[in-house]
Parts: sequence; structure tokens; C-alpha cells
Amino acid sequence: MAHVKVVPIGSPREMALDATARLKNRAALLEKEARLAERRAKVQAGWGPTYVDRVHQKGKLTARERIELLRDEGSDLFEVGTFANWGRAFGKLESPAAGVVTVFARIHARWCVVIANDNTVASGSWWPRTPEKIERAQEMARRLRLPVVYLVDCSGLYLPEQSQSFPGATGAGHIFKMNALLSFEGVPQIAGVFGDCIAGGGYMPIISDRVYMTEGAYMVIAGAALIKGAKSQELSSLDIGGPEVHVHASGCADARAPDDETALALIRADVARLPSSGADYHRGGVDAAPPFHEAQDIDGLFPSDHRHTWSVEEVLARLVDRSLFKEFLPARGREIVCGVARVGGLWTGFIANRQGVVEDAEARDGAKPAGILYREGIAKTAAFSRACEADGIPIVWLQDIAGFDIGLEAERLGLLGYGSSLIYANSTNKVPMYSVLLRKASGAGYYAMAGLPYDPIVQLATPLTRLSVMEGRTLAIATYRTKLDANFEIATDDPEERAKLEQAMQDTEARIEGDMDPYKAASQLDIDEIVRLSELRPWLVALVEMAYQSIGHRTVKNPRIWSLHDLDALVEPR
Amino acid sequence: MFKKLFIANRGEVAVRVARTARAMGIRVVGAVSSADRGASWTAALDELVGVGSGPPRESYLQQERLVQAAVQTGCTALHPGWGFLAENARFAALVEAHGVAFVGPAPRAMDLMGLKTPAKRAARAAGLATIPGSDGPLRDEAEALRVARDIGFPVMVKADAGGGGRGMRLVHREADFAAAWHAASSEALAAFGDGACYLEKYVERGRHIEVQVLGDRHGRAVHLWERECSVQRKHQKLVEESCAPCLSDAERERVGALAANLARSIGYAGAGTVEFLRAADGAIYFMEMNTRLQVEHPVTEERLGLDLVRLQLEVAANRPLPASLSAVKPTGHAIEARVNAEDPARGFAPSPGVLARFDIPLGLGPGRVRLDTHVAAGDEVPPYYDSLLAKVVAVGATRAEAIETLARCLSGARIEGLATTIPVHLAVLGSAEFRAGDYDTGSIPGWKE
Repeated sequence: MAHVKVVPIGSPREMALDATARLKNRAALLEKEARLAERRAKVQAGWGPTYVDRVHQKGKLTARERIELLRDEGSDLFEVGTFANWGRAFGKLESPAAGVVTVFARIHARWCVVIANDNTVASGSWWPRTPEKIERAQEMARRLRLPVVYLVDCSGLYLPEQSQSFPGATGAGHIFKMNALLSFEGVPQIAGVFGDCIAGGGYMPIISDRVYMTEGAYMVIAGAALIKGAKSQELSSLDIGGPEVHVHASGCADARAPDDETALALIRADVARLPSSGADYHRGGVDAAPPFHEAQDIDGLFPSDHRHTWSVEEVLARLVDRSLFKEFLPARGREIVCGVARVGGLWTGFIANRQGVVEDAEARDGAKPAGILYREGIAKTAAFSRACEADGIPIVWLQDIAGFDIGLEAERLGLLGYGSSLIYANSTNKVPMYSVLLRKASGAGYYAMAGLPYDPIVQLATPLTRLSVMEGRTLAIATYRTKLDANFEIATDDPEERAKLEQAMQDTEARIEGDMDPYKAASQLDIDEIVRLSELRPWLVALVEMAYQSIGHRTVKNPRIWSLHDLDALVEPR
Repeated sequence: MFKKLFIANRGEVAVRVARTARAMGIRVVGAVSSADRGASWTAALDELVGVGSGPPRESYLQQERLVQAAVQTGCTALHPGWGFLAENARFAALVEAHGVAFVGPAPRAMDLMGLKTPAKRAARAAGLATIPGSDGPLRDEAEALRVARDIGFPVMVKADAGGGGRGMRLVHREADFAAAWHAASSEALAAFGDGACYLEKYVERGRHIEVQVLGDRHGRAVHLWERECSVQRKHQKLVEESCAPCLSDAERERVGALAANLARSIGYAGAGTVEFLRAADGAIYFMEMNTRLQVEHPVTEERLGLDLVRLQLEVAANRPLPASLSAVKPTGHAIEARVNAEDPARGFAPSPGVLARFDIPLGLGPGRVRLDTHVAAGDEVPPYYDSLLAKVVAVGATRAEAIETLARCLSGARIEGLATTIPVHLAVLGSAEFRAGDYDTGSIPGWKE
């Protein structure tokens, strides 16, 4: 069956949720989103106006100003790693965004990964986790085959903390290995050198296909300060490794530019010479279209209390084009929704946890709680994941998952085995996968649904995300289980001991609650970006378009030959 | 060409579409509600599929049910007609997703023209003038007042999400502006959940001009000349004619070319109508584009000798427009009267019931008459739907001859069992203002309510 028979999903705002609940949800969310906006603004300010002025006084632009000139006018930027090193201090110093801006930007209608040293934060030097953040952006580009633009303005490692960022497997040198791998795999790389680029900052641009240097820029293995005799000969670093040397003598750069603006214009012109995006071809004559049910209304759908449920259909309806969706195997494993829809006109697979209670003929009372993985749901997810891989349909994972089903029945059914089969499928998938931690991302459920350890190209979180092995309450129970009865109630008659135990359990719960904060995960690079719920749709449109931009490097089958249809054919009533 | 066509519509629309399809050798499947089951007009269809009960929400607006019916009956194309789902982009996308060709433009074109602000921007980009006003919705009263002063009073305040006259206010003087702005905005907020309004200069004594356009899926688009529909009651058209009495030949050529330009610039494929408003001072403004065939399309067909439904089907089957199309020259004059089951003596209230008699004489001259109808004596007119009974189109060598033909025909009509709008048509046709072409959309010439 070549037709992908999508059907309407979701209902109008007034029917999706009553107005009182919607407004309450929205108010609670807006509070969290206001904090997100505030924190983003703080990060984006770098070290603040004094340092911005310093950059301007040198006749240079800041990293963010450079990106503004680089992107297509009016296009949106999608930044990753904003909260790297959030809440972390090195001595008295903070390193907003780990001193490097990494964004997806459109240049001449092609998605590119832009990696720009933040010259308002310690002259763009590399902090602990800066290498990892740069490498993560390079990896995103490698997996999606997106051109990379480096805006280099980096005085090397931040030396007081060198032991954390130099020697390890992902230490600064691994950036250059990634440069090499990108080149090896044919991913275009273009570099602009804008300032004092010493040591690592000097190595980073060189492997790029084109290297531009501004007149004030230099690249050196070591600066004049470390060169014997430089002082007496009045040699500056610019004399040692400026454009006079590298463009004309050494050939380590290709061309010189009088200023930042010109260099950026030259880079844009290079990107325009690359092949145009394959996305429109893969739309197959169907135009991108917004969701029929206002995308913005997603912000009223999630209850403020994480124990309360929400409707997966209403959320999907606000993410996919025209709110048209095709679910596969809808009658089986109802705790999970697997289906396809167009996002920005391009086919996208969705795997999402259903919440609340789902029917199950085999369960006691004919129903069971969702938001948990059971055998059928796991098997369905694995089959769908494999089919998307075979068909080249990018997968979006929407997580709100408490974990696997547990207990005697679960073990007898072999959930460990089914779960491992799913993990095998996800681990070996080459098709682009993106994970979105809508709310809970707990335990093995987080793994089974392509959480970060399974290499999704991008992992997004929302201000509602709770990422943990187990919820605080569960851990408190596990910790104090010897003191609890079969219903997990405190089993003592001594009021003093009871009070002590209650306090201890509350403390455990509170500590885990703090650890589940998405900013903490984002600071550790365990989440690529925290986004507002209403930003999810534009993010998905951009990410899916990126997945279809470069042709020839991965399977993209037309729907006529999708193996996905087999799932339908086998369950169709005869 | 398609072998089987599904018509997601009823009554006169279904009959009109079926007539052409069957003439082309295409089998026709019609959707019917339980209220329409057994109606005489359903004989015009080869097969019928029940799609629900009488109220349109339960039948003719049931998107998934209609698509299922089309698929299950083996139809390869679906014609939405006009009204109901004809301009619903999501429905068009749904139809196409099921492998059924939607006889209409691409969903994107419907999206674009369905929204006031993007439609106007697209029109301006194609060189069409739009009524002076704010570019998009405004939220701030002070800013709105600045814009109002800029364009000059009288101005119209309109809800961006609006429709049906709600959230609309006419303001003649600056002193009344604040009150009108707040009234429109709060009405819009209550009705549509969005209080944003935009401003437009109010065009007095305007005439309604519309241009028929047709585009194919190969980048070609032509115009098929204009119609005038200035005889209206509360935005409901009563009489439509072509050519437009209020335009000079040069203006005719110009609006035609502009409309074709717009269609071409948005890659429009299928039949559509670009609506203009001609101000008393001669300025001609783009109003909106209807992305479907219009009720009054027979007026154009009669002057050009074309079958627009046939052309629609050909475009939907990816055929290029015939090269000869732009060379077709209109001849004579055509006037259409929409005969509705409404009682003009009772504020045009719907007048459903059983037709005891239904005779419309076609041969009284001096010109010829085309009658598009789906009813006959003995039929019951159900209360759920559009009140249209018949479209009577008179064609003459001159406007006077067409008027005379239509007047004779309608005077001779005998419709009993329910009230119709024929008395209004006769009053219009007999009035000196109408005959002289001296009227506008504000009132019905020759008729006082």
C-alpha cells in the first residue's frame, strides 16, 4: 500500500481540555518558561557588556553578532548546549555556554552547524566541557551530513583547569580528530579565523576545506609570549602567524578578509556553492503545513503535577502537519503510540508514551496503567523502530516514561529479553533519531526509548523534564525497604523512630528531586537543549528537514516500498 | 481521465458536477445524508453512499466518512463542489493522502488565500492594489488610531479571526474611534478567543467585481473574464452578471490580467475567483480569492461557451490547459438570478416545505435561458441546507435583452408551496437604477425592506 493514510488526530482546544485545567496548566508552565527565558538571556550575555565593548573596540564582532550576519535573514536559529556548565564555577569564574556557541543555522537555505568561540568569555578559551560541547556539535553535523562553519576566535585552553579538558578521550585534541573524520566522510567544513587563535585555536580551522583570515587574526602553535627572542626582535603573534604568513607563505589559510563582515560574506558565498537541500524533493509535491490544531496550544496540555496524565493524541496533533497522523498497530501495546506523519512536509516516525490507563484484555480489570513499558509495547516499538530504519524515516521519540513493568509476570514474560531486542534495534539504527524528554525519563525506560546513551542526534528537554534512574519516592522506598511493610508503609510503632524515618525518606526524595532538574542534566551535556513546549514544533520541523537535506548518504525510501506497510498488512482484518 | 468521481456535496451542486462528469463518461458516486435520501435530484448520480443524518455536521462535513466512502466505492477523484468542505485545506490533504485526487487547488493555496493578511500580502506582491489599511492585525489602540488617521475616515475595524460580521465596526469620525475599537476587539475576543483587529479604509458605494481564473499544474494560469455581483443583501449575492456594467473595456482587461497574475504567482491550479471592490472614484481593490468554483460560474460559462467543471477535472488529472483558452472571447451578456426558498416579506427567512408546483418557462425569449436546478414539483426542501432552489441564467445579445429575457422568464415562473425570492428579482430587473447600472452593494435597487 503506497498511500500513507493519515487521518485527523486531536480535537479543538476547547474539547481537548476544559478551560480551567488548561489555564492552570499554562500558568504553571509559563512560570517555568519565564525562568528558562531568563536563564537563556543570562547565558547569551556572555560575560556582559564590558567584554562586548572590549571586542568591539578591537574592531571585531562578538560570536553572536557573527552568527546573525551568517544566517539567512529572518530565519530561526536553533541553539544547542546553551546550558553547558550552567551553575558551575571555576574559582570565581563562570563560563556561560562553556564559552562556545553551537547552533543550527540556515545559510542560503541550507542547514549548517555553526561553532563559534564566544569571544566575550575569556577570549573564547576552552573550559572543561568546551571540547565535549564542540565535539557534540561536530557529531550532529557528521550524522546529518550538514556543512560545518567554524567561527574561530580562541586563545586556547583555559589553562588553570587544563587537567580537566586536555588528556582524556574527549579532551581538546579530539576536536581535531572530529575535524579529520568529518573531512574523511566528505562533510564540508569552512572556517573563519577572527582573532588570537593560539594552540588548539590554531589547529581547529586548518582541516577545513576553506579557511578565511581577517587582517587582525593569527593562528599559531605558540604565541609570541613563548617564543625566544620575539621580544628583542619586536615580533608580535600577528607577525608570526597572521594572514601575511598563513595565506601567502604557509598556505595554511586560503584567503584574507579586511574585516569580520567580509569574512562572513565569503563564508556565505561558499555555502551557496554546495548542493541545495534534498528536502523539497523528498516532500514529493506535498507542501509543509502547520498543525490544524494550533501548535501554540500545546502549552496548556501538560498538568503541573507530574503524577497527572495528559493526552498523547492532543500533543501529537499539535506537532504534526495539518494534525494528520497514521498510527501503526493501534490495537496492540496501547501504552505506546507508534505512527508516522508529515512534519514540515517530510515523513517522520513518532514513538510516544501514552499516559493514564489503557485497555488490556489480558490484564486484571481489563486495564493497566500506561507510561510504563510492557511486553507488547516493547515489541511494537522494536518492530516500528526497525521498520523506520529500513525505510529511512527519521524517528522522534517523545518520552514520558516511568520505566519497565516489574514483578513476577514481567520477568516470566521475558521483558529483559524484549527490552534488549529494542535496545539492539536502537543501537544499530543509522536513521536519524531525535529524543524529546517531555516529562519523566526514568530508569530503563529512558534507555529503551533512545535516551542519550543510545546516540540520538539531538536530545531535547522541556522545563517539565525529570531525568532519573528512579523517582525520589521510589528510591526512598528502596533505601529504607527493611523498615517498611508490604505496602511500603513505615512499619514501626515507636513514634520517635517513625519521625526519624519519615524525615530520612523525605530528605532522600528532596535530593533526588534536585538532581532531576533539567538544568543540571543540560549543564553536564546530558541534554542538548531545554526548549519551551511551544518551541517543540519549530524544532522538529528544523531537525526533520536537516535529516532530509543531504542526499546519497542514507536510505530514504519512498512510501511505495516502505516495509512499514507490512505491519499494517499483517493485522488488517481478512 | 478518472473513471469514477465522488461528489462530496448535495443538491444543485451535485447535479451540476454530475452532469459534466457523466457527459465525459465518468461514473458518479454521491454522498447523501438521510434527509436527502430519496430526493429526486439523487437520480442524477450513478451510486449513492449514506454519510449520516440531516445536519451537515453529521454528514456533509464528516471528513473521514466522506473519504472512506470515496475509497470504498473505488472513486479516484473527489469533487468538493462549493460550500461545505470546498475550501478546507485539511480535507483536501486528507483526500490526497488516501490516493484520491482532490478536484481543486493544492492545500497550500487554500491556506494562503484563507487567511486575510497573507492573502493580501500575496496579492500586493503580484501587483494588485489592496484597500488601504493596517498590514496585519493590531493590538494597540494608539497604534490603530495612528493608522486610521493615516488612511482617513471612514474606516472599518475588523477582527482578524473574524467572519459573519462579528467583531466588525464602521467608524465615520475620529471621536467614535476608541469606542468602536474596544467594542470590536472585545467582541472578537469573546467570539474567537483573539482580540486582534485590523483596519481598512471603508469604501463607500462599492461595486463587487470578480474574475474567474483557471490554472493548471504546469505553471500556466489564465483569466476567463469578470462577473459583477453588486446586487447583494447582507453579503448574499442575489443577481450576478457578465460583463460587469460598471467597468470600461480597458478596466476589464486590466482586472483580468491582474487576477491571472495573482493565480500564476501563487502557482494556482484549478478554478478560482479573485474578488475586487471598485470604489466610486474608480479605484479597484483586491478583496479576496475564493479557491473553488463559484455558485455563479454559469454566467461565465454561458458567455464563453466553456464547461468549467470539465476544465477542473482535466486540471486535476494533470492535463495542461488547452492553448486555445486565452483566445476565447466572450459574447453577449448573461445575468443570473439566484432563486432561493426565502420569504422576502419576512426578512428573507428560510421557507422550507413541499413544492406544490415548480414551473420555470424557458422559451419566452427574446434571448435564451439556462436553468440549473435540482428540484421538481412534489419535492420537499429540507430545513438543514442552503435555500437555493434554482439558478436562472438569461443570455442575450445585449444587457437589455438579457434583462428582458430574465424578467419574462421569472414573471412566467409558477412556484407554489413555499415563498421564493423571485419578487425581489423582478423588482431589481424592473428598476431604473439597475437598468442604468447605477447602484452599489449597499442596497438592493428597486427593493425596499
